[in-house]
Amino acid sequence: MSGNKCSYIFSAIFVLLAHAGMLLNVFLNGNYSDLSDVIVLAGAVIGLDLVYFIIMPFFKQSTFTIDFLLLLVLNMSVIFQSCFGGVHLSLKHYITCITALIACRAGYLLCRNHKWLQMQKKYFYIGIGVLMLVIVTLTGSRSMWIYLGPITLQPSEFIKPLFVLACATSITEQQKKHKILCFHVVYENFALMGITAAICLLQWWCRDLGSLPTFIGIYACGFLLRICYPKAKFSKKKLIGAGIILLAVAVICMKFAPAYVQERLHADIWNDINGNGYQQAQALIGIANGGWFGKGPGYGFLHNVFAHENDIVFATISEEWGLLYALMMVLAILIIVMLPLINPPRSYFHSTMAAGVCAAFTVQMALNIFGSCNMIPFTGVTIPFISSGGSSLMTSGFMTGMLVASQSPVFKPPKPHKKLSSFNLRRQKA
Amino acid sequence: MDSLKLILCAVAAASLDICALVLILAAYHERNTGNKRWNRMTSFMELADYNTSYPLGCDEILIGRHASADIRLPDLSVSRYHAMLTISNGIWTITDIGSKSGVFVNGNLVKQTQLRENDMITLGNRRLIFRRRSDVNVR
Repeated sequence: MSGNKCSYIFSAIFVLLAHAGMLLNVFLNGNYSDLSDVIVLAGAVIGLDLVYFIIMPFFKQSTFTIDFLLLLVLNMSVIFQSCFGGVHLSLKHYITCITALIACRAGYLLCRNHKWLQMQKKYFYIGIGVLMLVIVTLTGSRSMWIYLGPITLQPSEFIKPLFVLACATSITEQQKKHKILCFHVVYENFALMGITAAICLLQWWCRDLGSLPTFIGIYACGFLLRICYPKAKFSKKKLIGAGIILLAVAVICMKFAPAYVQERLHADIWNDINGNGYQQAQALIGIANGGWFGKGPGYGFLHNVFAHENDIVFATISEEWGLLYALMMVLAILIIVMLPLINPPRSYFHSTMAAGVCAAFTVQMALNIFGSCNMIPFTGVTIPFISSGGSSLMTSGFMTGMLVASQSPVFKPPKPHKKLSSFNLRRQKA
Repeated sequence: MDSLKLILCAVAAASLDICALVLILAAYHERNTGNKRWNRMTSFMELADYNTSYPLGCDEILIGRHASADIRLPDLSVSRYHAMLTISNGIWTITDIGSKSGVFVNGNLVKQTQLRENDMITLGNRRLIFRRRSDVNVR
């Protein structure tokens, strides 16, 4: 183990205690008919904890805190999701959480060496292009899902990590300026701007406008960090101009948005409680009914409302577990987002990558929670790690792996692609 | 819900609170060990002027006159963006990034070169020594 053993063991014990506390709450206050349901749930949660604690040290990391937080939040979500409408292990969500943990390991291993990633840059753009092509050809203009028998996939989710990586790889290209007429331009910036515009158009076409702020948030973080990058020069006037243009575009888009968007923007949920405002009205009633300590796991009403396990999951948790637990859940995710501030990355690439991931998580969480609470229009975006949904969880897991990689980076030159022939080796030695 | 259940619920929530606090403390501990590891990886090196020393805290360090430079040398003989220090595999390299007066290492004009302990780097009129880190006069 590269990290401190004592700190590792202490962290593991407290994660176990936190889950044990929640399971005790299920046992004492939960809505279950058979005790075996609680035992199965407890076995699944504690078992996953223990297996992950044993496996983690085999990955030579210098930091483990993000992994512990990920495990804490994922198993919290397993307990929450297993209690909606009565205690029983939600096997589908449990398997998805395991997949998210595997995706996290994959993200860590792939993103440790930024010099190697820099060489793979073209594949990020190709990947984004392929996914966009898949969306155009397979999902149709009014949907964002691909149905493969019992499995449904949302390809736009998989664009997010690739987009973050594209933003991060662009940062070291800032000094490669090319003169066109009297302007010094960086080709990479144009490519990224083009990809962003294409993603925005595609989201508009798919009617998945809820994901737009996430992509814009990632791009804005990358854009700001490019300005901060030492070699890049960008005047304040241009920055203010870009902000004004963005604001103007947002206002125009809201003004000329399609009818279904206008309905959501101007919905009065209490006057339309059985129509467009049904979900939000029920969510607010659920939060109020739950109070600080909730009605008890499995005793809520919101499990009868459509999309209770993803779109209004914050309200469902607040109703059954109480606002205190729901806020703790938010705090745990916010700590994941804040960790790069406590232990900052050592390279500009990893800083940009971490900023992009944190922007995506924060925007998604804000859209979901504020949407549930009727503070902004309802978007249907998921809370990372908590909402059910394979694509969302896998992507969140992979992006957390990127955060782990930014905390435990490798600074080694990438291995050469082609093996040198003996003739070339002799020539080099000569 | 009776009061006992309420108390147990609060205790369970408190265990989450404590866990979050422990993990934050663990993160701070990891930062300290991370700093030590970084110093070991960078061979405890630093750049030093005649009265100031500059720790090398990340893998790309810009030296120049501009306010955004990581190591700022407020001297007109130094370009705004003069040289870049990079580390790879534990070896520091200095690269001239288009300065007007050039980068001299031990008196030799270089475009890019690996640095060794006690190398003297000259940027314009400023002289910096690449030396092992000392704990005195750290900026």
